[in-house]
Amino acid sequence: MEMFLMALCVSVFGLAVAALAFGAATRSETSAPPVQPPAPAKAAPARFFADGVVPQIPILAPQVPIELLLQQIESHVRLEQAAAESFVNFPTNDVLHSKTSSPFVN
Amino acid sequence: MAHELLNGLSRGETEQVLALGTRTKVQSGASLFRLGDPADRLFLIERGQVRLTLPMQVRDRQEDVLIEEKSPGQTVGWSALIPPYRFTLAATASIETEVIGLSRDALLKYFETFPDVGHKIALNLAIVVGHRLQLVQAMWLRQMQRTVELHSALAANPR
Repeated sequence: MEMFLMALCVSVFGLAVAALAFGAATRSETSAPPVQPPAPAKAAPARFFADGVVPQIPILAPQVPIELLLQQIESHVRLEQAAAESFVNFPTNDVLHSKTSSPFVN
Repeated sequence: MAHELLNGLSRGETEQVLALGTRTKVQSGASLFRLGDPADRLFLIERGQVRLTLPMQVRDRQEDVLIEEKSPGQTVGWSALIPPYRFTLAATASIETEVIGLSRDALLKYFETFPDVGHKIALNLAIVVGHRLQLVQAMWLRQMQRTVELHSALAANPR
């Protein structure tokens, strides 16, 4: 009878230890943070003829003050008129296409 | 003062034509005529200087851009003798200027009486107009050449 009780106690104890061990093992598995799969790369928006899209040309800020620009225009007109006068006085292909020092053509 | 419009006229003819006109002083910066105004008279420049301009958009402003400058002896405002009798340029005195204004009506009436003088003046006017045409066509061609070159350069290197 004593032997039976001792075996029963040992079995109960073993069962309790096994239950605790199982609980601890189970708890440690569920409390671990889940492994996050790598975020998929963001899909690019669909585009037609994306390669042919011309990039926007940046608008250049005006660099030259308008008074200077007007002077350049007037200078250009005078130089062009002088070149045209030369052509009228001596009409050749070379004189017609002669270069001037105008900033608009250099 | 020898005026290009009166070349070939005798002294007496020149005096008769000039007597048809009205001398006017134009202060520096003052307008002689504006673009689109009815052109009922042309002007012979006695002294000073006249700027002929056209409006042009420069950035966000409209500016009168120089087309031609005229000096003593030269003629401005010949639209007064060419239909539709509207000034196609604006004229402003660069410095204090004196002009002789000749009205179309007075000139045509005088030409009816003195057709030989009218013939000479018409030939002189043709020279003035023809010279302007030759200048403008040369300037236009030069500008067109640059436009073609610029277009070709952009087509060869679009970016």
